[in-house]
Amino acid sequence: MQDLPFDTVLIANRGEIAVRIIKTLRKLGLRAAIAYHDIDAGTLAVTMADAAIAIDGRTPIAAYLDIPQIIAAARQANAGALHPGYGFLSESAEFARAVTSAGITFIGPSPQSIELMGDKIRARNFVQRHGFPVAPCAIEDDDPATFVCRARAMGPPLLVKPSAAGGGKGMQIVRDIGLLEDAIAQARSEAQRYFADGRLYVERYIEHPRHIEVQVLGDAFGNVTHLFERECSIQRRFQKVIEEAPAPRLSSALRQRICDTAVGIARAANYQGAGTVEFILGGEEFHFLEMNTRLQVEHPVTEMITGVDLVAEQIHIAAGHPLRLAQSDIVPRGHAIEARLCAEAPERGYAPTTGRVLVLDYPDGDGIRVDSGLSRGQRITTAFDPLLAKIIVHSPTRIKAAQKAHRAMREFVLLGCATNASFLARILADDKFLHGQIHTGYLEEHPHIAAGEPLANLSDFLAIGALLTGPVRESADAVSDLHAALGNWRN
Amino acid sequence: MNHSFEVDGVEYQLWLSRCRENYRLCLHDRVIAPIALSDCGDGRGVVTIASESRPVRFAIDGETVHVHMSGETRSLHYRDPLRTLATSKLEISQAVARAPMPGVVVVTRVSSGQSVCAGMALMSIESMKLETVIRSPQDGIVERVHFKEGESFEQDAVLVTLIEERS
Repeated sequence: MQDLPFDTVLIANRGEIAVRIIKTLRKLGLRAAIAYHDIDAGTLAVTMADAAIAIDGRTPIAAYLDIPQIIAAARQANAGALHPGYGFLSESAEFARAVTSAGITFIGPSPQSIELMGDKIRARNFVQRHGFPVAPCAIEDDDPATFVCRARAMGPPLLVKPSAAGGGKGMQIVRDIGLLEDAIAQARSEAQRYFADGRLYVERYIEHPRHIEVQVLGDAFGNVTHLFERECSIQRRFQKVIEEAPAPRLSSALRQRICDTAVGIARAANYQGAGTVEFILGGEEFHFLEMNTRLQVEHPVTEMITGVDLVAEQIHIAAGHPLRLAQSDIVPRGHAIEARLCAEAPERGYAPTTGRVLVLDYPDGDGIRVDSGLSRGQRITTAFDPLLAKIIVHSPTRIKAAQKAHRAMREFVLLGCATNASFLARILADDKFLHGQIHTGYLEEHPHIAAGEPLANLSDFLAIGALLTGPVRESADAVSDLHAALGNWRN
Repeated sequence: MNHSFEVDGVEYQLWLSRCRENYRLCLHDRVIAPIALSDCGDGRGVVTIASESRPVRFAIDGETVHVHMSGETRSLHYRDPLRTLATSKLEISQAVARAPMPGVVVVTRVSSGQSVCAGMALMSIESMKLETVIRSPQDGIVERVHFKEGESFEQDAVLVTLIEERS
């Protein structure tokens, strides 16, 4: 790596992504500092970091969203750069601006890019203006009085979305046009609650859509390259569960068109850093969904097929260097699948679970990577997102990758807090999944996958429970002693 | 003697007896024998059930046994017969509002000493990013609000204790 104008990087994040960033910083010979809330004291990221600075807040999340405290922590650690990870402040233009004004390099795009892509409607209009495909749409702000009329005129199916949305919250699918107004009312109240912004827009909904996204890298000199696509169609409530690269059942011509469109959008936006352009694909038609101006949760599948360390590239670009990868240098190899291990019970409507990590065994083997922030003894609470770890595998073919991921999920052991590991294993062994017959409604269409099946060997589990529970074993032994005594007496 | 374990929300009755140097598991519909578990330390063991041996990972946490075997994980909660009786007695004179799922207290609507009637809002909680109102299960007086605003709790935690109003 070329010279960097900083030697310490503050990580304004937690959990698995903080650990992931520390690993690259170490590889590059940089010091890692982390800002952490007390609830995360003793977690892997905090103990791995070279310096850890406590921050606080009314809630743990509030601490990780407190811009002045995080900038003070960066100063205290003598950090010349800051990595925001994903979530929290990673897509806050205000934060990027405050970091830069403090004389600290923000490892991410410019505040202008974040602002442009952060507002869905602004981003959509920008993309359309540059001649790239967008879905037919009715925007409330264009003329609030005729909004419902314009939406109705588009005809079903429709998707109602908050303008300020993220993470699929507040979205409503309308298949019966008579229910449009109810859906608008519900989306508005949710949008108001999540984003304090009730503005909406309505888009034509594509049935059985696939979510395809393209990883891009741009530098300060106008160079943009793509690192091919990821398929993220296995979703629950619009949140990704399993991601893979490359996308299955995609012709090379269509792949090329999608990747070229992503590069065109990033170039039009003067995009600098790592970003992801998301598309909805229905049949052979695709249109722009949104652009995420940060590292994605699912970035490891791209790293597995290209061999590129995306965090290292982010740092290289943030330091002001031109891209060191030409498009022809990026050659995808094999197939990668990522499964998101979460503290939740899909069998009970994805209810969050809590507990303490008592036993933790990671699967290992060739082509298996585990990105995790977990350590033994750690308490798992509902204070944050339920994502605990990611299991990523790489194999020569998709089927082999699915088999390897399935085996890895079954070998992953976390005792003390229920997880979705069995659910992930069920998807990875599902016939439709293995045939690549996936779309974003896959889990709703196949509810048996989330529901699970009764345990075939439940009696074996009960046997182990009985043998390991003092009172159960003691009452058995007490009877046995009596029998033994009787036996002795008879002899 | 009958023992009881709860797994995935269902209760199972069983008992264990000796079977030479091993054990015999009696379930309501069948008997499995011999069964044995050798503890290799650090939560590792080998279970032998009807002469078939398999490695297991386990952790004991109070009255809960967590087990991972053949790619599946389950938590088995031992229901102490004496404890179950004591709890049900307590809850006759004291009504409680429990957490339907883990979450955080958004706002408390009552304080101790206050009279409440059935169905009245006691507190709002947030879980899975949804707000839920916890309502009083019966008429009574608030004895204790167990969590303050902003505090988090686990599933089944007692949120509010009520005592019956004396007339």
